[in-house]
Amino acid sequence: MTNGAEGFDSVPSSSGSNGSGRYEIGLIYLGMMHLHFGHPKQALQVLTEAVRFSQQQSNESCLAYTLAAICNVLSEFGCSSSAGVLGTSFSPITSMDTSLSVGQQLFVLLRESLKRAESLKLKRLVASNHLALAKFDLLHAQRSLLSFGPKASMKLRTFPINVCKELRLCSNLISEFGYESSTMTTDGAFSTTWLNNLPKSMDSPLLPQENGHRNNCDAHRFFTQLSTVPKSVLQLLGSSYIMRSTAWEMYGSAPLARINSLVYTTCFADASSSSDAASVHAKLIQHLAVFRGYKEAFVALKVAEEKFLTVSKSVILLVKLQLLHERALHRGNLKLAQQVCDELGVLASSVSGVDKDLKTEASLRHARTLLAANQFSQAAAVAHSLFCMCYKFNMQVQNATVLLLLAEIHKKSGNAVLGLPYALASLSFCQSFNLDLLKASATLTLAELWLSLGSNHAKRALTLIHGALPMILGHGGLELQARAQITEAKCYLSDPSYSVFKDSEVVLDLLRQASDELQVLEYHELAAEAFYLMAHVFDKLGQLERREEAAASFKEHMMALENPQDEDDPLLNMF
Amino acid sequence: METDETDHVLPFQLQFDKPVASQVKIAEWNPEKDLLAMVTEDSKILLHRFNWQRLWTISPGRNITSLCWRPDGKAIAVGLEDGTISLHDVENGKLLRSLKSHTVAVVCLNWEEEGQLIRDDSKTSSSYEDRTSRFFPPAPRVPRMPGVVSGDTSFMEDSEDSYGELSNSSYQRFNILCSGDKDGSICFSIFGIFPIGKININRFSVPTPFMDKQTPRQISNSSIYKVSLSKDLCRLIVMCSGELNENTESRESQMVGQGMHSLVLDTSIFSKRKSELHQLAQQASNIEDLTEVIRASLSVMCKQWSDAMRTFLEKFDSLSTLIIDHALDSSPQEEFLSLLGGARTSSAVHQFLVNSLGEVGVKRVLKVICGTAKELQRIVLDHLQPAAEIIGFRMGELRGLSRWRARYHGIGLDEMLINNATEKCGMILVQIERFMRVLSTVEQQFSNFFNWLLKCIKLLMQEPSDQLLPYNSELVVIFLKFLYDQDPVKQLLEVDHDIEVDLETMQRVKELVQFGGFSDCEYLQRTLAKEFQQMEDSFKEAFLMPFTTVSRKMLYEDLLALFPLPSSSASVSMAIPMSISSYEVHFHQCMGNFLHLCSIEPSN
Repeated sequence: MTNGAEGFDSVPSSSGSNGSGRYEIGLIYLGMMHLHFGHPKQALQVLTEAVRFSQQQSNESCLAYTLAAICNVLSEFGCSSSAGVLGTSFSPITSMDTSLSVGQQLFVLLRESLKRAESLKLKRLVASNHLALAKFDLLHAQRSLLSFGPKASMKLRTFPINVCKELRLCSNLISEFGYESSTMTTDGAFSTTWLNNLPKSMDSPLLPQENGHRNNCDAHRFFTQLSTVPKSVLQLLGSSYIMRSTAWEMYGSAPLARINSLVYTTCFADASSSSDAASVHAKLIQHLAVFRGYKEAFVALKVAEEKFLTVSKSVILLVKLQLLHERALHRGNLKLAQQVCDELGVLASSVSGVDKDLKTEASLRHARTLLAANQFSQAAAVAHSLFCMCYKFNMQVQNATVLLLLAEIHKKSGNAVLGLPYALASLSFCQSFNLDLLKASATLTLAELWLSLGSNHAKRALTLIHGALPMILGHGGLELQARAQITEAKCYLSDPSYSVFKDSEVVLDLLRQASDELQVLEYHELAAEAFYLMAHVFDKLGQLERREEAAASFKEHMMALENPQDEDDPLLNMF
Repeated sequence: METDETDHVLPFQLQFDKPVASQVKIAEWNPEKDLLAMVTEDSKILLHRFNWQRLWTISPGRNITSLCWRPDGKAIAVGLEDGTISLHDVENGKLLRSLKSHTVAVVCLNWEEEGQLIRDDSKTSSSYEDRTSRFFPPAPRVPRMPGVVSGDTSFMEDSEDSYGELSNSSYQRFNILCSGDKDGSICFSIFGIFPIGKININRFSVPTPFMDKQTPRQISNSSIYKVSLSKDLCRLIVMCSGELNENTESRESQMVGQGMHSLVLDTSIFSKRKSELHQLAQQASNIEDLTEVIRASLSVMCKQWSDAMRTFLEKFDSLSTLIIDHALDSSPQEEFLSLLGGARTSSAVHQFLVNSLGEVGVKRVLKVICGTAKELQRIVLDHLQPAAEIIGFRMGELRGLSRWRARYHGIGLDEMLINNATEKCGMILVQIERFMRVLSTVEQQFSNFFNWLLKCIKLLMQEPSDQLLPYNSELVVIFLKFLYDQDPVKQLLEVDHDIEVDLETMQRVKELVQFGGFSDCEYLQRTLAKEFQQMEDSFKEAFLMPFTTVSRKMLYEDLLALFPLPSSSASVSMAIPMSISSYEVHFHQCMGNFLHLCSIEPSN
């Protein structure tokens, strides 16, 4: 998403030496290319050579860029062997204690890189380093999680405030390029826009005499087209908005995640690289699917597919597979779900190297598919191996998700007691990493687990749900909301002190909302549950007609769940 | 606990010790410390310690009609003659906040905190955390207006510190400030800063005590003397004077008589929904503070920029006159263009550059404009953008609350209105980003243009020009075409402008609707200032809903006619010494109940 490469276009001028720095720059580009194609080892080798050569030539700025590139490699791949490769020649690394974890190494390097860039006044590099630091702060707790335990856990936290500060520092770039760029713009760079204007004003002189009645079609061009902010600056600023959006997805603020994506697509669309633009559109599509259902998301996906036809198919393809999988799971079409899951797995280990995040996601989805098929032990096995992998690569954020999945597996298999420790572990991970939305969802699972232990735990479950409800309703998707509402209704119904006759509307309102949301999602299994509960309540109240209605809906959803039909599916036929 | 300090001995003792210029009319003890706040006849507030050490004196400039302490004793609420209620810091008497909720004199204030006694809280309270402080650095402050005298600035800084503390109410216990005015209106505000309700006792219909009469009565021409909220926030006792009229359809309302009444109002909404109201007040008052930051930023920016542009216009105005003087049929832009093209240098331009502007002049204008642009960028980056971002976050939190219908619908948090406000927050963020880009471009264009002018002057004066910064001639052309006689920055900062957006961008915005973008595609045609106005309106609308909903839920419960008053004195506000106290009485069921005792000392 954000790599240090955006700033490189300014190397030639800012290094100040014409011609002599070409070799180092070439090496940096080669290193970045290796990284792009998934060869971190070679990338590091090349970059080491770049370090050696820049030191020989005492090309300070090139050294700073190389350092940033090395940080990038480390953050992408976290090579534990990096110290060995680099150790011989590069002072910042040799001075580092070898016992430091990869995360700490990266942190030290990032700081060092930022310091160098600041002292050399490489503004773009400074901004890009701030961005890298923000990304680091987003994903890493300040102390290594190796000492994870009940007592140490409270101290281990990520600091979202730092992320916010780094992002704001990155945005400062826009006020700093002012003086430099008049020299940097090559003559004629604006002539294209200039010429575009010309045909319209051909008949009139270049500067109309009647200044008062200047036609506005000239004036408005200034706002959009004649922005002289350099593209590299805009790309960095845009990246900061993508980073904000990602951060808010993790921290749990749905409006801000959406708004930041929208700011990017509205203001930076003209300068953005197509892969960035595609990934932002992918974010928006996912947001749509989660909050407004699949129908709208697929319409948007169709548009996006046409828009990004040639360039970065993979991001859009990924979203498509994700949506198809989610929807297939909801509709109970497990065969399709498995098929999509396999396709994702293929995508994860393509020619360009193994994408770890994608691989994690693929096996996560695999486990969920198995869970939906009630193959609990297989699902648990997949989840366990996934947990081991995440642990090995220090992917703590994913760990929280996997733990939650394990809790779900135990919940569904009827072993609520076994599920509790997993849910609690997930909760504490979420707390350490400020993953508030995931935490709310883990709290919900915890409540469900308590509830399944018996009706005497209903009150405790209800308190848990009420604590998480503002988060779930404000920032959680339709599925999460509906689940919370159904569980809340179940808590009321199983609470012995609650009487349906006295206050039936509380439960009915919850179930009604939940069933509306679930019908948008076509989530048959849960919708059936909502209607089942509804029918029960109506039965107790003696409202037979409405009971029959709910029962009919229940039957409808159960039928749909039993025989999924995808032949006449309009959404699938779109592709 | 409300006690009216009407002991006549104390003021006389004070006069022995430190003579006060005029009579003390109100005095209140601090609930926590040994501090006595007094109001004198000449509208000064004095704060004394127990040993008569004077801590501070302030004079708000208007007639003070009432005073009370915040329950934690860290602030004083002062009711003024014009209906304003202002809060002052106990440390130094600085004005923290002022709120004009009444139209006539505020005659009584009562600030009550929820009681210590919390019954079965596990069921009703939800542990809700304000996440903002975890995710954001401290909220930005109002930017300082340049050129403010240093004495003033220290005042601003101080007051802002306590200002920020005032809104951070997450650790505070829930409390409500009630204020009553001369016209029978009672206002309620949570933490003294977030108005949550207003009622007028003249509108209540009072059932007659006699069974045979069905017609309800109404109080008219009432004036509040005292209000007191019970410790459990369930009941409000109002002492008021007024006429109790019979209200029937056929006859004219029949006057029953002028008198003193004691009213009991049901305010149980405050205790039933206190954690909900607490959260609402906390988020909403913070949002209002941040809106204030944006407003101030915009006005500071607008002023600074127009000052800078005036300097530019003043300097370059003489060129047009010179052109006319030299009888040339052209515009300044054309003259500059031909200078750039190297075709000819007209005598007008020559004279303008060399004589009237000069190298020093160019440098000065360059410094003014680029310095101002930098200043504006700082304001946007340090104040405007962060404020808008935090507003967006807080609105998102409120959105979550508003969707919890079972809890929050009762206090009037409306999902649609909050959604609308959230959309507006998003639009303002886009607008700020666009403004920043325009501003940066304009700055760059100006500096490029002036660099070129400097070079021209050097050439015209036949001096060496190799020391100067390089320029881009294409940008000079663009500057002359688009910026010389237009000011896009100013346009964006003013409300009444339409920004024309090119088709490409419009298309992009429309396409985004499919991706969940803002459904209002026209928003880019508005200026930044206009967008801010609309955002503010949407906030007002969203927060008005809880205000009216809660106001409607405060109901009449009981009325006790105390004693008649001579009707002549009704118009004159007269002092009737009285006090209301509430006591907790335990019945057998171990249920706390509150009883009110009113004591009146009929002096006339």
